[in-house]
Amino acid sequence: MAAWVKGGATDAEAAVEAAATLLASARNAVLAGLCAELSAVRAAYHLADAIGASVDPVSGPSLYAELGSLSRTGAMTTTPAEAIGRADAVLIVGNAPWDRPIVQDIADSQASRGRAAGSERTILSLGGPRNGATRHVAYPAEAGGLPVSIAHLRAFLKGNLAGEAAYADLARRLATAQYGVVLYDPGEIGELGVEMLQGMIKDLNEVTRFFGLSLSDPFQGRALLQLAAWTTGQAPRVGFGRHVPEHDPWRFDSARQIAAGEADAALWLASLPAPRPDWLGTLPSVAIVGVGSPEASGDVADVVFAVGVPGESAGGVLWDERRAAITFSPPAGQTAELSAAGILTAIHERLTQKKAAAC
Amino acid sequence: MSTLTLRQEPPERLDFLNVNPLSLSGLSEAEAARLPVGTGRRGLTLGDCFTIALDRSEDLVIEGGSSRLDRVGASLDGGRIRVVGDVGQRLGAGMTSGAVTVTGSAGPFAGSGATGGTITIEGDAGDHAGGAVYAAKAGLDGATLVIHGTAGDHLGDRMRRGLLLVGRAGAYAGARMIAGTIAATSLGDHPGYGMRRGTILTGGVGALSPSFVETGTHDLVFLRLLARALRPLSPAHADLAAGALKRYSGDLATLGKGELWVSAA
Repeated sequence: MAAWVKGGATDAEAAVEAAATLLASARNAVLAGLCAELSAVRAAYHLADAIGASVDPVSGPSLYAELGSLSRTGAMTTTPAEAIGRADAVLIVGNAPWDRPIVQDIADSQASRGRAAGSERTILSLGGPRNGATRHVAYPAEAGGLPVSIAHLRAFLKGNLAGEAAYADLARRLATAQYGVVLYDPGEIGELGVEMLQGMIKDLNEVTRFFGLSLSDPFQGRALLQLAAWTTGQAPRVGFGRHVPEHDPWRFDSARQIAAGEADAALWLASLPAPRPDWLGTLPSVAIVGVGSPEASGDVADVVFAVGVPGESAGGVLWDERRAAITFSPPAGQTAELSAAGILTAIHERLTQKKAAAC
Repeated sequence: MSTLTLRQEPPERLDFLNVNPLSLSGLSEAEAARLPVGTGRRGLTLGDCFTIALDRSEDLVIEGGSSRLDRVGASLDGGRIRVVGDVGQRLGAGMTSGAVTVTGSAGPFAGSGATGGTITIEGDAGDHAGGAVYAAKAGLDGATLVIHGTAGDHLGDRMRRGLLLVGRAGAYAGARMIAGTIAATSLGDHPGYGMRRGTILTGGVGALSPSFVETGTHDLVFLRLLARALRPLSPAHADLAAGALKRYSGDLATLGKGELWVSAA
């Protein structure tokens, strides 16, 4: 079954009608999640524009950790291909990057072009695991966490602190690299950590070449960010209540709006796996989730659609982490009956018909 | 004294950017009632939510606040606003002169980008009080922000100028501070993280960042001047500045010209 209304299985047309009725009666709806193929995310933005809703992706915390720093101080960044091809020193910050395939790609190769070509590659870890799976030199994090550790390291790099501390050794290793890369997860180190890290990278570029390589979040945030920019001219968290896209990361935080009682309806879009929010089902809700996911059942929200999962049961444009680009992923198997973009467009059209009928 | 009396809790967040003594001085009550303040599709106006009594004076009183009143006193350029109750985010943001007083509590980003005037919060303030909003270059930028209660995390984040007085504040107070002065009875962990210049005076702190170093105790003329400047606003803070203090220099991860004065008592 692909659609449910109030827990009962139904056809897609009836569910679209129920979803349109639910959203039409809302004073302030939020469209959240947005962990989906780009066509669905685009349809969600258009729907939000039509009903004056706000938009908040599940990738928000990770995206804003990076954007907050980028918008104020800029960033020196590189791509995975450049890091693999040119770096003779790679500093991996925190735990999160170790779960990503790029760490193995870096460990299995050495610099093949540029000024460090042929050099042995050194992998350094700040606050990461000592699991022994990848040969690296590990430096523990400070008790205050990764942002404090980065600041401490930077103080040694600038020459404002000196001594035989472990971070002094790490600073020496970084400064003597010919082409260095810092691999980090912005969601793990936060905005303050990202800004301090980017400041350190700029300091290092006084003496050598160094770049940041931030890992993308697993919820399509990088793809969504580009779509948000070309659609609204803004970062993702926007509201359309006043007929123009207003950007305000605090005001349009969906969890905050729902907790404060400001939102009276929600649409959760997650055709790809994403952590189900606590608030789903606590207010009138529509859920558009992937076929076969744990959320694809009638009790998750008032109206539920099970749609094709991009790359599995539907084609879709997604973020490709290895290429650092958005690319099309064809369906791996049989195509699902419903698509997220199709459902969102149908709801939008039904709302337009309702509005015309009311005039 | 003009008065706006809130009839009931607003059904959505209201934007008070264009509601101040100057903008109301040229309007009749009927015209003021048509000022758009809603942030949703229903087009709420001032008259939908407030009972309005105007006398064209420089004093505006908002009776019955709400945590949904955003940008009260934002871009204020003279006159006085008094809110009897709470306010939402960005209280007095970008104001250049005048005075804003809130008898209740304020949401986040109070005083962000304010270059002049005085903002007084008699209750508590949210996170980022005196801090920069997204993509802004500076937080508090020359105004005076007085918080009688407590403040959340990131107090004075990227503050550039001015004076910020607070009772107790959370973690990362004065983070990325460019300049200015913060005085607090106590601060949470890692005050002054990434600060370049500026002065933080506090009665006590949580964990200090290792990129701050103690530089001893000092008897400086500056501290006596600071105590004198603080006394009219808060005798407790002035006594703090006049007492025995330990000085820490930082943040050595950046320019390192900031100073953190912590009570030695």
